[in-house]
Amino acid sequence: MWSVFILIFIALCLGLAAWLIFLWAVRSGQYDDMEGPKYRMLDDEEDEKERKKL
Amino acid sequence: MLKCDHCSLPVPDTRAVVDEINGEKKVFCCNGCRGVFRFINSEGLSDFYGRRESSWTPGPPDESPIELSAFSDSLRPAGDEMEIDVVIDGIRCASCIWLIEKLMLRTDGVNYARVNYATHKAKLRWDPETTDVANVLTRIKSIGYTPKPSLPGAREEELKAQQRDLLVRFGTAAFFSMQLMLYSVALYAGYFQGIGEKTRLTFQLIALALATPILFYSGMPFIRGSVRGLKNLSFNMDVLIVTGAGSAYIYSIYQIYSGGEVYFDTSAMIITLILLGRYIESGAKGRSSEVITRLLSLNPKEARVVREQGTGGREFEPVPITSIHSGDLVQIRPGERIPLDGIVTEGASEVDESMLTGESKPVAKGPGSELFCGTQNLYASLIFNVKRTGKDTVLSQIIMTVENAQARRAPVQALTDRVVGYFVPAVLLLSVCTCIIWLIYGRALEEAFMNAVSVLVIACPCALGLATPLAVLIGTTRGASKGILIKGGDIIERARKIDTVVLDKTGTITQGKPRLLLCRGIGVRDNEALAIASSLEQFSEHSIAKAIVNAVIETTSYNVADFIAHPGLGVSGMINGKPALIGSRAFILSAISREKVNSAIGTDLLSQIKSQELSGSTVIYLLYDGRLSGVFVISDEVRSEAKESVEVMKKTGYDVIMITGDSPETALSVAEAVGLGKDKVMARKSPTEKAEAIKAMQEEGRSVIMVGDGINDAPALVQADVGMAMGRATDIALESADMVLMRSTLTLVPDAVRLSKKVYKVIRQNLFWAFIYNIIAVPLAVMGLLHPIVAAISMTLSSLSVVGNSMRLKRG
Repeated sequence: MWSVFILIFIALCLGLAAWLIFLWAVRSGQYDDMEGPKYRMLDDEEDEKERKKL
Repeated sequence: MLKCDHCSLPVPDTRAVVDEINGEKKVFCCNGCRGVFRFINSEGLSDFYGRRESSWTPGPPDESPIELSAFSDSLRPAGDEMEIDVVIDGIRCASCIWLIEKLMLRTDGVNYARVNYATHKAKLRWDPETTDVANVLTRIKSIGYTPKPSLPGAREEELKAQQRDLLVRFGTAAFFSMQLMLYSVALYAGYFQGIGEKTRLTFQLIALALATPILFYSGMPFIRGSVRGLKNLSFNMDVLIVTGAGSAYIYSIYQIYSGGEVYFDTSAMIITLILLGRYIESGAKGRSSEVITRLLSLNPKEARVVREQGTGGREFEPVPITSIHSGDLVQIRPGERIPLDGIVTEGASEVDESMLTGESKPVAKGPGSELFCGTQNLYASLIFNVKRTGKDTVLSQIIMTVENAQARRAPVQALTDRVVGYFVPAVLLLSVCTCIIWLIYGRALEEAFMNAVSVLVIACPCALGLATPLAVLIGTTRGASKGILIKGGDIIERARKIDTVVLDKTGTITQGKPRLLLCRGIGVRDNEALAIASSLEQFSEHSIAKAIVNAVIETTSYNVADFIAHPGLGVSGMINGKPALIGSRAFILSAISREKVNSAIGTDLLSQIKSQELSGSTVIYLLYDGRLSGVFVISDEVRSEAKESVEVMKKTGYDVIMITGDSPETALSVAEAVGLGKDKVMARKSPTEKAEAIKAMQEEGRSVIMVGDGINDAPALVQADVGMAMGRATDIALESADMVLMRSTLTLVPDAVRLSKKVYKVIRQNLFWAFIYNIIAVPLAVMGLLHPIVAAISMTLSSLSVVGNSMRLKRG
């Protein structure tokens, strides 16, 4: 029976962690531009100068 | 000078690349253009070159200076660096953004550049020691995009905060619901297979703990909304949600206490799904509130006031607009926007008033003429006496009309709200009856009360929150693929009832850009006259001059000396050492006598000119070497598909009306060309009068759709039940409109209405599917036989039905 409670505890902790990460993501503006990333991943970094700046 | 057949840029004869395509000689500025031309031609898309005439400006980007004063408010220091937020106009696709970001990062001193793909807002940061705001913005402009100040209006910020709040509430609800489902499934399994008393209690308590934040945190907006609703004695959607979710929660707590089954999952799912629906909805709505901010950003922030000095000299002092009073003298240089309304005292120039009047031809201004705030001075410096400031200017009046119309627009009571308005009282009544019946049958008060609550538990449909947003989402996506952008769900409800279509003239029925219709040489060949005219006109910025220059296909160009522009009249210069004049009749008559002009033209051409003038075209004359040598007719052409589209709209049963700021003569000739009767034309209407005309129609009980493209249409677009802007419309028109036609084709108007009707039908069906399973289950609750499994099944089935039914919109 104890194993079940331990598993429940772990599940709740994981859920809580996911929720906190979600809250952090919203706060830090990860959801502000839902369109951009899918295009940005296709851009190649060009030279050292730019990489440093980004 | 030759012109490249692909990009329209001028090419020196010696460097042109010549090619023969389909038997025609074509000239290109480089092999790149030739390659593209060949490709487009080989794909059978050469129509492109005909189409672009209407909306495509060839040649290098607009070189007019950036009004830095407009950006001063959005500039702010960030550490050692300066930072600015600008909205970039002209972005079409991901490549545009890539280009802007890369260009910015390669500019010396710029350390950060990021453009938001959805809002086209750029955040730029640079080192003030190396570069400055003017340089940065000019770089953006040099590649053909226009930076505009982004003033974060209070409304916009509020809207953004709201959307973020909604996302957090929905995310929270979703995470807790997922956790909750684990225990609900365990409890269902336990119901069938048996479960230890203790384990069950533990799981139920965990479920309670997980459901609590969903109801009281995520559900808080609904709780507040329902309290507000109940105070007004209205049973809105919020009341239904709170009754459903709240009663399931309370009922479940009672069940834990008495050892029965719990319904926490019902409570959680109602709130989660409704929040999901609201989040989908809020995405589309965001943009429309930017309209007011944009309108205001057109206003210059500074102006040069003329100060008389003792010695008789004068000084121009830049001061903020707010400190200028009526009676002050203000100077305006060419290319600047006029900051306030007033009367010209010195100078002569032409002013582009298209943003107020929609008329594409510039208006000549001299001492005594009236100037309007927001219009653009084109050629020469003017000094004017300020007459109206602040809220009294014509532009402010338009802004106010738009604001008022937006505020006044009665909110359509959404279909869901109407259904819910009947449903909630009915369910409450049923619940009370259940309680009374159980009491009559002699049961304990507690049991009777809890059965009554169970009626409420099952009655609230989970899928209700998805019924409208999902259909709207799929419907608008479908519309977008056809070229119709719909800005929100409520618009669909309004659009389906449309019976009257009001079309703006300039830019909607017509192309909105003047084109050369007729070119006649007198004493010389037609081509020769055109060659002389275009040689001279290439130095002019006037829209009529551009029409002439654009009309040249392949001709030799002459050397021009002593070019002078005479604002409002025409241009003059020396060609091959002989004097040449091009301009209006009045301008020509200043050089030669009326008799000479008339005899040179001849009666045939004269009558033709007369009829063209009556139909609203502009006629200009060429005087070369002292003789009248050419006549040109320039007109704003009617769109090729306009007539057909009007016919389709009439056949569908709409009353089609044309409205314009132009003179009745011009209006009637265009109306005739598209097959509209005299009684369907409203001419010489100011922007506010257009809105009033639409209001009058609405008061007659009509539902009006307004199609337009200029700032002058903005008040009417907002006033109309549905405002529709053409794809190439000005920003303000785009923002004021409810729908935007991506392709400037009038045939999309009936398509848009048809799509709205279809989406509306699906919404109605969705509501039926959302309610039906729950309604079927209600009798069980009344009899006291409600079961978690029944609740779960109705929850799943109604959601699946709604999703499936909405998907049908993807086809056809």
